[in-house]
Amino acid sequence: MVAAEFFSKEWADAVRDALTAGPDERARAVKLQEYWDFFDWLKSVYPASWALGCRDLPGASAAYLFVQWDGGTVTDCRIIGPDDPPPTSPALFNATYVLGMDYRDWKALHDGYDAQRTVMYRKITLEQGDLLEFFKAIYFFVESLAVIGAVPAAYA
Amino acid sequence: MTERKSPTAVLREGPRALSDAQVREIEDSSLEEVLHVDIDDVIEYVHKDLRSLPDFTTLYRKYLKQRWDVYDLDFSQDKIDWQEKMTEEERQSFIAVASGFHHGERQVEIELPVFMIGASEEEKLHIAAQIEDEARHTVFFDRFYREVVGLKGDDIMDILDASFPWVSETFVAPFGLLAYQADELRLHPYDERARVRYGTNYFLWIEGVLALSVMKVTLSYARWRGFLPAYYTGFTATCRDESRHVQGGMRYLQDAVRKDPTMISEIHDTLRTILSVSGVVSRRIYYEPLGWTDDEVRVLFFQQLRRKLNDVGIGLSPDLEELLQKVQPVLAGG
Repeated sequence: MVAAEFFSKEWADAVRDALTAGPDERARAVKLQEYWDFFDWLKSVYPASWALGCRDLPGASAAYLFVQWDGGTVTDCRIIGPDDPPPTSPALFNATYVLGMDYRDWKALHDGYDAQRTVMYRKITLEQGDLLEFFKAIYFFVESLAVIGAVPAAYA
Repeated sequence: MTERKSPTAVLREGPRALSDAQVREIEDSSLEEVLHVDIDDVIEYVHKDLRSLPDFTTLYRKYLKQRWDVYDLDFSQDKIDWQEKMTEEERQSFIAVASGFHHGERQVEIELPVFMIGASEEEKLHIAAQIEDEARHTVFFDRFYREVVGLKGDDIMDILDASFPWVSETFVAPFGLLAYQADELRLHPYDERARVRYGTNYFLWIEGVLALSVMKVTLSYARWRGFLPAYYTGFTATCRDESRHVQGGMRYLQDAVRKDPTMISEIHDTLRTILSVSGVVSRRIYYEPLGWTDDEVRVLFFQQLRRKLNDVGIGLSPDLEELLQKVQPVLAGG
């Protein structure tokens, strides 16, 4: 099976399914159930949306993966840009949190770089949104970032 | 050296006053003499000046007197203790705790420079000294992991990579928040409200609560068992450095609230975020081989938080009190 191109519609569809399914059994097995109970609770009540940017998508300008959460599931997951640049995209600016990451760091995440360190080392940064509110669900975000990173993708 | 108490004795003892001789011993000890200083006295010393906090120039002058050379430490006995005297359970517990510090010291070193931009000239001296302290503490752990634990690597990041598997997933809450708060300050270095939120996480929570509590766990173990003398010496000297950082940080927060009482809401909002994610753990750290239980460590956290807030005169809102009650474990038999 050929992996979908990174930041393509097919890849966004696969991300939507993976996020809705959540971390797999192997990921769950190495952390305590109380951590996952907290994660599952956050997921079930999380009302926000993310616009996860790739600042330097090869051959294009910045593009965003828009993810809307509601009732524990992803209700919208699509690519915004590069032909739909951010200033003209109402969906992007309606995102609760806009984050950005360079292409090489997206690739590193896909190759297995730790999602927690991706945040701590500011490889992904928060560009818009309430920082303190964002961190109330930080475990949910980090685990979801790891899930996104694990979705098969073809990089340039 | 005073009588060796059990590691958790301090939980039952509560606050106590240090004698002038004890204060002199802590303040004036050379690096070699720090081996004989009781870690509980150093932690108590952190609180000594919180009610009448020293100014930043005084803290800078203390730094100049207390600065130590991390390359003066000789880890050869520690290596023997680690390999021949400590049990595998003790080593695993110790490294699980120490790895948080290994990465934490690196984080607080690199996230601090942006806070200096919006500081007063006197505070800049103190922050510059603190950055140098944190760099030295980073080297201290790099040496400990190489020379005692035996991790291999060509540079500092190699050793950080090698110890990262022991770092808990919940580490990202305070330290990821700090990284993003530093980013916020990089964009808006004179935003006083953002500075107070940053200071609450860095100085009150990470340094005043997490660091001092977890320092005590490994240091009281080393003292109690008579193991790891270079670790005890270097990390107790680190704790003395942290006392200046916490005092400077509390001074900053106290001044900010006195100047503008509405700043208390920034402190509360930051604590609300921190406490809302602090009641959960992702992996069990077995503190028992080091003489602690998980609940005792968490009780220590919240004792440290309450003492800092009380000493500098920062009250909690009712909802924060409720949140604190919810996440704070009850110490069995305490």
